[in-house]
Parts: sequence; structure tokens; C-alpha cells
Amino acid sequence: MSVSNYVSEVNGIFGRWIKKTLRRPQFLFFSLVQPVVWFVLFTAAFSKIADIPGFGQAAGTTSYVAFFSAAVIIQTVISSAMQSGIGMVTDLESGYMDKMRVAPIHRSAILLGKVLSDGFRIVIQTVVILLLGLLLGVTIATGILGLVLLLAIVLTFGIAWSGISTFIGLATKNSEATLMISILTTFPLLFLSTAVMPKFLLQDWVQTVATYNPMSYIADGLHGLIITGFDWTTLGYAALTILVVGAVSLTATTSMFRRRVSG
Amino acid sequence: MSAQAEPSLAPSPTVPRAAPRPAATAATGHKVITKADAIVLVKDLKKTFAPDVRAVDGISFYVKRGEVFGFLGPNGAGKSTTIKIITTLLQKTSGTVFVDGLDLEEDPAKIREIIGYAAQDVGVDDDLTGRENLRLQARFYHISRVESEPRVELIIKTVGLEDAADRRAGTYSGGMRRRLDLAMALISKPKLLFLDEPTTGLDPQNRISVWNYIKSLNEQGMTIFLTTQYMEEADRLCDRLCIIDQGRIVAQGTPASLKAEIGADVIQIAIKSDGTRNARDVAREALRRLPGVQEVQNYDAGVAVYAKNGPSLVPQMVRMLDDVQVHIAQLTLSAPSLDDVFLKHTGHQMRTEEVKPASRMIWGRRRRPMP
Repeated sequence: MSVSNYVSEVNGIFGRWIKKTLRRPQFLFFSLVQPVVWFVLFTAAFSKIADIPGFGQAAGTTSYVAFFSAAVIIQTVISSAMQSGIGMVTDLESGYMDKMRVAPIHRSAILLGKVLSDGFRIVIQTVVILLLGLLLGVTIATGILGLVLLLAIVLTFGIAWSGISTFIGLATKNSEATLMISILTTFPLLFLSTAVMPKFLLQDWVQTVATYNPMSYIADGLHGLIITGFDWTTLGYAALTILVVGAVSLTATTSMFRRRVSG
Repeated sequence: MSAQAEPSLAPSPTVPRAAPRPAATAATGHKVITKADAIVLVKDLKKTFAPDVRAVDGISFYVKRGEVFGFLGPNGAGKSTTIKIITTLLQKTSGTVFVDGLDLEEDPAKIREIIGYAAQDVGVDDDLTGRENLRLQARFYHISRVESEPRVELIIKTVGLEDAADRRAGTYSGGMRRRLDLAMALISKPKLLFLDEPTTGLDPQNRISVWNYIKSLNEQGMTIFLTTQYMEEADRLCDRLCIIDQGRIVAQGTPASLKAEIGADVIQIAIKSDGTRNARDVAREALRRLPGVQEVQNYDAGVAVYAKNGPSLVPQMVRMLDDVQVHIAQLTLSAPSLDDVFLKHTGHQMRTEEVKPASRMIWGRRRRPMP
């Protein structure tokens, strides 16, 4: 296997998925309109939360929009990542997977190109959300370095999370099931975390769930970067969360992928 | 009763193009075939799906360099499964497979480099244009951009997709998708091309154009391994073929030699069931006694009679069946066709089922026929 061939294969598959995404107008529509709806609706409904005594101290800001922007990013990352498995299902059903498998490409390129395209898509979506936030007065406290770190978190977490979806897609070979599981997991995970509310405002049992919910650590990491400044402990937890989720999901996905492509 | 007066009623020597070939050598297969003669060499191949479905049940065959080789059989016979194993898409349960001298087990990657494969389910990307599909395919075969661009252009012209090349494949008709799929399989100029039911679902006109294209590819030196459930297709295209049923090869040879093996006219008599006794057995016993009849065989709808001078025997047969009170639903007399070869070896008629396009189900797994 030559390295340049491998790069070309991954690049071709990456480009294929980017093209496919751009040519599905409904996908673009939802991935851009949904954050707008979230920003406008939720902050309109919940902005008074910031007036609760103790919010400013716990959140580091008295702007609920700023606090909530992390939730919008996470929501977008998860729901976008959750779509990635559907592409795999379509390929398995349409016979395109067989076309790739019968070609002399390294089979891992099929997975790597796909996963990278998911990560890339998620980064673009996040940039759009940040620009939207900017219009609503949300700036990133940690500046350019913070922005880079934020995008790195989003990219790696997105890839790790899309691994879960790809695993479900490969395991069930059913796009509806993949979509259902994604919807059913996204919302509880988001609302039972510290993404939407500071921890002290959550009910006791929700606090317990939030402690074990990986979303909380990602949310805390993003909150820090956007609102308060570099907090390396929080960022460390976020990185650890990504590593654990990624290790589990990508290992599972790779082994399921091997099973599916080995015949 | 309707005696179908086929043009072939007179036992004219229906000569297919492969007739001059000496029948014996290919049909018997006693000659030892080596890896050098055969581009595909399969020995005792088995594939069992859990729990105990023997999709391929110990088959051995070879494909000679430069020929059009065919697998003829009904749905579920094991044709696609065999092709999927040879093209490295499916693991075999046991047996050995060599492709161009390469052991399937040791060199699957090298095998992929020299083969092309067009599946029964067309594998094109609907969101990409025809041209983009081809370019990506060229990239998968590591063909440089400089080399691939003219090749893509040429192949678009060859399969007649010039006007549609920059439209998304999702907008193509069934025939166009099939042609694009074939073009994708050809982009690497494979030595050996696998076509899994290349004309299933096509209208007669498209079918003939695909046949002509397959022939022209073969004339350019490409070895072609196709599967089909159409007798006529096998007869017209294949230099040699295997008839496969229920995971086993029931006959192999040239179309001419297979038909010659029957050595007689075939009179198929479908019988009306009267519900009380086994009319089929009665008919068989009666017809067996008729002088000139070589053999009478049961099949699902009635009996098949093999006789040298078929046309002259038909009146007597009808009279005889009338005597034993067996009612004829249909009677067909023909010079041996591959249908008859299939019937003779399996005891049932080959039903050709159209493969319907898979419907999209909202819930549940899409049901697929056994590959």
C-alpha cells in the first residue's frame, strides 16, 4: 500500500461525502435553520433564568444567550453526528458499498474518509453558529486561541459521536432506526447536562445524571472558552471525555465495519 | 388443447453460433485444466449461511481466458453468491478459488486490481453526476488524472451517456443507471469482468444493446463471467456455461453441446389435474409404451417426452392420452433448447422471475432474496 494512494482514496471518499451533503438542500436547511430557531426561541423563553440569584456567579455571565450558545453548538454537533450513520446504511443498501469493496482501495479509507467528512461538516456548522452568536452579542472570551481550541473540541467530539451513529447504522442496517435512536438520545442527554442550566439550578436527580453525562464535560469546556477564560482543569475533563467516548465508539465502529465488509 | 406451432416445429438444426466447436471436449471436462489455462478456477466451493442454508453446495468449474462464461439458473440458485465469493465480497465456507493464478485467500487485494464487477443491484451514487461517479471510480483504481480524464470521456460516449454525464445519477432512468454502473465497472479496463444479471429488469431493446456491448468487449479480449436467468441470453452470449440449481452445478458445456446431449425433440405436455388420481404418472406410463419414445420425465406441470421424430409422434400421443383419460392443458414441441436441458437435469421448469425494484419500507429491515 502506498501512502499517496491511500491519501488519494481517503480524499476521494471525503470529497464524495462533502458533495453529497451540499447537494441535499434539506440537510443544509435544517443544519442552519435549526440553530437559529434554538437561539431565538430558547433564549426568548428562558432569558430570565439569568436573573436568578447565583446564576451570574455560577455561569460567569449574566447573559443567557452566551451561556446557551454552548448548548446550541452541542445540540448541532450531536444531531449532525447522528446523521452520519444514515449515509453508511444508504451505501450498504444501494450497493455502493460493494462497489467500493470490490475496488483495490484500503477498506479503512472508506471509514476514514467518511468520518473526516463528518468532522469537517460539524466544524463548518459550528462556525456558522458562532457567527450567529456574534450577531446576538456573544463573543469568545479566550480569543483566537480559544476559538481554535473550541473548534478542536467540536471536531474531535463530533468524530467520536458520529462513531456511535455509524456503529448503529452498520449494526441495524436500517436508516429509520438510526435516526430514531439519534433523536431519542440527543435531547435527554442535552437537557440532563449542564449545557442548558448551571448545575446548581438542576433538580437533585438531574444533578446526579449530569455528573455522569459526558455532555456536561463538553458543555463546561465550551462555557469556559466562550465565557470565562482558559480553565485547564475543565478543558482537561473535556479532552478526557472525548478520548473515552471516541475510543469506545470508534473501536466498536471499526469492528462492526470489519464485520460488514469482510463478507 | 393447444399445440403450439413454433417455427422450430420441424426439427431443424437450430444452429447457434457456438455449434462448430467440438462438443465433447468442453462438455466432458476430462481434460485437466491448470491455473494457466483458466482465469478462474474453482474447486469444491461451498457457502453455508447460518443456520443451515447451503447456498453453494460444492461446485467446481473453470473459466477460460478470453471467453464469455455464464451461470444459468433461477433466482436463489447460488449464482450471485458464487460471484460475490470470487469478487472477494463474501467469505467462502470451504473450497479453493484461483483468479488469474492468484489464490483468493492469499491475494484478495491483487485480485481486486484486475477484475471489474457490475452487481445485480446497481451501485451508483445518486447524488453525484455520471461523470463524477466515473472519476471517483477511476481514483479508486489509482488511475492518474491525466490518464483518467480521456478514459472517462471515452467511456461516457461508449455507453451513450453524453447528454446525461453532468446530471445527477438520481435523475437517470433504470437503463441509464445500468449503463453507468457498467461503465464504472469498466473504467479500470479489467482483465476479467463479472456481470451479475446484466439485463434483468431491462426492456427488450436495452437488453439487446447490452448484449451487443458485452460481445464487443469480449472481442476486445476481455474475459466475461455473467450470470443470467434467461435461456436466450445464455444461448446467445456464452461460449460455455454452467447450469446451476439449488447450489449445485447440474450441467456444464457449450450451449450447443448441452442441447446435443438431449439428442431428441422435446414434447412438453402440461396436464390438467383431475384431483382424484395422479394423472401425471398415468400419462407417463402410457407414453412410455409408445414406440419411438426415448424417455418420459415428470416435471412440475406435467410430463416431458424425449423422442427422435417428435412431430410424427404427436398425434399418437394425443390419442393415447385421450384413451387413458388424461386431459392436456398444453402441448409444446421443440428442438432441444436450454430450457429443456434445465428441465432434464432438474426435473422442474426454470421460472424466470422479474426482480422488482426494492421498495422503501418505513419500518423493518428490507427483505432481500437470498443472494
